[in-house]
Amino acid sequence: MTAHSNEAQQMRPGLWETINERYPGSMITKDDLVPLAHLSKPLSEARLTFVSSAGVQPRGTMPFDVAHPIGDYSFRRVPSNSSPAGLEIHQIKYPTNGAHRDLNVIFPIERLQELAVAGVVGGLTPNFFSFIGYQMDPARFERTLAEEIAEAVVAERADAALLCPA
Amino acid sequence: MQRAIERKGIPTVSITVARDVTQHCQPPRALFVPFMMGHHFGVPFHRELQQRIILAALDHLVMARRSGEIETIPVTWAQARREGKAIEQAIGQRD
Amino acid sequence: MSIQYLKDAVANNDFEKLIRYLRLHLGDGNEAAGRKEIEKAWVEALKLLLDVPPTDRAFILETLERKDAATLAHLFFYLHFYFVKRSGEWIHDGTL
Repeated sequence: MTAHSNEAQQMRPGLWETINERYPGSMITKDDLVPLAHLSKPLSEARLTFVSSAGVQPRGTMPFDVAHPIGDYSFRRVPSNSSPAGLEIHQIKYPTNGAHRDLNVIFPIERLQELAVAGVVGGLTPNFFSFIGYQMDPARFERTLAEEIAEAVVAERADAALLCPA
Repeated sequence: MQRAIERKGIPTVSITVARDVTQHCQPPRALFVPFMMGHHFGVPFHRELQQRIILAALDHLVMARRSGEIETIPVTWAQARREGKAIEQAIGQRD
Repeated sequence: MSIQYLKDAVANNDFEKLIRYLRLHLGDGNEAAGRKEIEKAWVEALKLLLDVPPTDRAFILETLERKDAATLAHLFFYLHFYFVKRSGEWIHDGTL
């Protein structure tokens, strides 16, 4: 976290422009900021949750719909004590070569379990939350899926949330 | 999504490999990593790096004072790949 | 593509916009690739019928009769990916 690292370039530059040109109106743009919420307790006592758009789901649950032209607006609960062997990925819109060898590169469930055991965080919510990042109706996405996951995160009494938009 | 959770009073932080996309959605806190898409926490079997990315994000979650700030971390994809390869050789995941 | 963009295209009968969207969706953001993917799926389906194997026409007719058009449309997209996968040439590695 040094000043010079601010120069770091993203590996695939111009991603927003590319996606927005190909799928006009699919990208979310905001001009206002949400006021920060703050931790009410030390991190070492806080219950952490994880929200991912990588399409990771417990084996045997209804696969995410990668065929639908307008996207999938559902989510899955992934028990936070799952092992990677019990999970699978249903998503084709991001490179999954690394994840297929070690799921932790996109869904670091084992690392999060270790942080809880080590006491860096107070604990994990019973479930993590997973969906696929392919929705051609951003308004519907914000109205339904985003709110449903936010409510589920509250229901699991999370004190903090780590998110990973794949 | 992230904004919806933060609005419910739960502090959030996201990990992004697309700084430009993140700048458009304006989440309250984000950590940018210059990694390949789909590899936000680094490379396979590199536990220490995966852990370090999470810890940097959690650090930003605790320390951020201004909404919309995108934090960075001094890592490079080339170095992550090099280290990942060495780790895989050591544990016999690669010939 | 936002839903409104597509709905406007439907309202204006803008076939070009709609087919471009389909090619982009099926080609993971690459229009030329998407065109090829659509053709690949049809060729794969054709190959399966060259020897005129017995098929379950009763199932087909019953499905068309009993299921609503939206479910059949959804199935159409599933069948596209099914045949693409069956062709053995899978381009969907997530690179953009």
